[in-house]
Amino acid sequence: MQKYKTYAAGYLFLLPWLIGFVFLYLSPIIASLYLSFTKYDLLTAPKWIGLDNYKAMFTDDYRLGDSIKVTFKYVLLSVPFRLAFALGLAMLLNQGMKFLGLYRTIYYIPSLLGGSVAISVLWKQVFDKEGIFNQAIGFFGIEGPNWIADPRYAIYSLIGLSVWQFGSVMIIFLAGLKQIPQELYEAATVDGAGIFRKFARITMPLLTPVIFFNLTITLIQSFQTFTKAFIISGGSGGPINSTLLYSLYLYIKGFTFLDMGYASAMAWLLLIIVAAVTGVMFLTSRYWVYYSDGRD
Amino acid sequence: MLNRKAITASMLSAVLLLSACSKGNNDAGTDSASQPAGNASAPAGKKVELRMSWWGSDERHERTQKAIELFEQKNPGITITGEYSGFDGYMDKLNTQIAAGNAPDLIQMGGNIKEYVDKNALLDLKPYVGGILNLDDFNEGLVKSATFNDKLYGVTLGVSSSSLLYNASMFEKAGVALPTDQWTYEDFKSSAIEIAAKLGKGHYGSYDLSSDVATLASYLGGVGKELYRDGDRRFEKQDIVGWFAIWDELRKAGAIVPADVQVANPPTAVDKSLLVNGQVAIQGASASQIFGFQELTQDRLALALFPNGPAGSGMVQPISGQYLTAYEGTEHPEEVAKFINFFVNDPEAGVILGSTRGVPPSGKIRDTLAAQSTPVDKVLYDYISLVSDTAPPVVYQQFPLDNEFTKLLQVTSEKIAFKAKSIDSAVDEFMTEVDKLLLKAKAQ
Repeated sequence: MQKYKTYAAGYLFLLPWLIGFVFLYLSPIIASLYLSFTKYDLLTAPKWIGLDNYKAMFTDDYRLGDSIKVTFKYVLLSVPFRLAFALGLAMLLNQGMKFLGLYRTIYYIPSLLGGSVAISVLWKQVFDKEGIFNQAIGFFGIEGPNWIADPRYAIYSLIGLSVWQFGSVMIIFLAGLKQIPQELYEAATVDGAGIFRKFARITMPLLTPVIFFNLTITLIQSFQTFTKAFIISGGSGGPINSTLLYSLYLYIKGFTFLDMGYASAMAWLLLIIVAAVTGVMFLTSRYWVYYSDGRD
Repeated sequence: MLNRKAITASMLSAVLLLSACSKGNNDAGTDSASQPAGNASAPAGKKVELRMSWWGSDERHERTQKAIELFEQKNPGITITGEYSGFDGYMDKLNTQIAAGNAPDLIQMGGNIKEYVDKNALLDLKPYVGGILNLDDFNEGLVKSATFNDKLYGVTLGVSSSSLLYNASMFEKAGVALPTDQWTYEDFKSSAIEIAAKLGKGHYGSYDLSSDVATLASYLGGVGKELYRDGDRRFEKQDIVGWFAIWDELRKAGAIVPADVQVANPPTAVDKSLLVNGQVAIQGASASQIFGFQELTQDRLALALFPNGPAGSGMVQPISGQYLTAYEGTEHPEEVAKFINFFVNDPEAGVILGSTRGVPPSGKIRDTLAAQSTPVDKVLYDYISLVSDTAPPVVYQQFPLDNEFTKLLQVTSEKIAFKAKSIDSAVDEFMTEVDKLLLKAKAQ
């Protein structure tokens, strides 16, 4: 009886999340699976068309190919930069300085805004032809291009913006760094190891589980990036599809072109791509992730 | 310490979240749509709350808000909340609202009204005509343009036409003759080149209009072709190559806005257009937009016809630029009809609104306005009557899947302007995609 009560209380506390999960996540997921097999223009009832949407994705949509290329470029560049930046900052903050909590907050809070509309608008101003960035490099006699409006550079301004979202990654790195036993460093110092050797032989190996975690989470987030691309390109993914990230193209298909069935199919393709990438991460993890709980 | 189990569990929940979000992303546009849908169940005689959505410039927002306030004063018990924005994203948001069943009661609609009629999103206003809704002062063509299957789905708010909006002060400063009613693409080119040369760096004769559907349609008319008629395109690859060649020549001469500057300062956004700060002399616009632009500059703005081609003028007859329509799911159709009637017939409202949505459709309102017209009003009125006299008496047919076609032309134009593709191969791609769109439209 006592046990039953405990369970009931547990589920009661879970209930708000459970309701949210079922109605806001699970049912839309199932609906989108159904819609992906239909022709659905949002305004009239969906019509079953079997696999046509999926066939069209692979045979008849050159823009989807562009979009996938742009997305992979974005993910492959922004993820390593963001992780490296976050790790660097975490190590700085881990130097046992005074007011650590204060610094942590100062660095953390702005980065939470990195994915927001307001910062995207700001970013657009900064990297404009006459923006602050070009004015700054203008002091050195360099005439900067129009970063966000030139198809050769537009994606890099998005990547730069994504590095700014280092906050939560940094906090997790910081926690990971604090877990590494100090004695290891002391012993290494006694043995004459320098900073770089300590980093390569102690910090990095012991941090691999945290790196693995951050890497996977950041990868998943990056594949879904939407806000930045939408705001900076004015919703177009332009110039010449150069910022047409997958989620943005999905949005355009669904809400501008009213191909919601096709957009749903795209969402499932994205899920498959991300699942595959994540799967590869897990499979390779045994070769480079070191768990100090001794089970490997 | 973090162990494998903890990591795996976190990852799994992250993957779950992802799959959730890949749908969640779809909802990005709905945030603003989830406002309460009016006070639905108000019984007669009680307070009625309506919502109205429109797009436009600040000038139009102010006028519309004032007209709404006047209506509320005259009709205690009815309040109307405005949901207004620029045109970018307006239709996306509306689509979402309609799909979610909470669209505004009153919707400003453009040339794509038929699309929404076909999807049963709009209310038939015919039952109110002659009663609450008085259209006696409207000419028949305007009523007809919103009539489908003998039902009336909207009321014209203003008559407008596509146009070349130009900065006359820049022409004068450069000592270049103003556009005439008969000007040709040769005249257009030489004017643009001369203005850019005379006014110096950072000044351009024209925006790059190669991505503008209305300008392209008129060009095709000028060479004896058409964009679209009855299910098919009425142009060939060579016509489009010729079109892009004109703009390429101007680009090489430095007479039109370079691609990157145009992307950053699109002419469609009033507050970003370089026309108002005297850097670009010509852009495409709907004629009634001149009010929003003129408000932002001391320079004198004016309207010109599209240049003639060898086959004469490719202008299209003035059209109902915008309609006020009612949402099919509105709870208060009578109040909605009452407001529409007020919006187009009330003399006071007419004065407040002016010609911000084009020449008012009601003859009486036009007469009232004529008595107190501003110079800009006159530019618009003269232009609209010039277009009716000039344009061949053909009924223009819009290319189907308008959004996708516009986007396709845009991307093709950018590929050429940024030198990512040669004209020839970009146009090949364009033609293939156009034919795909036509097939898709037929299948619908």
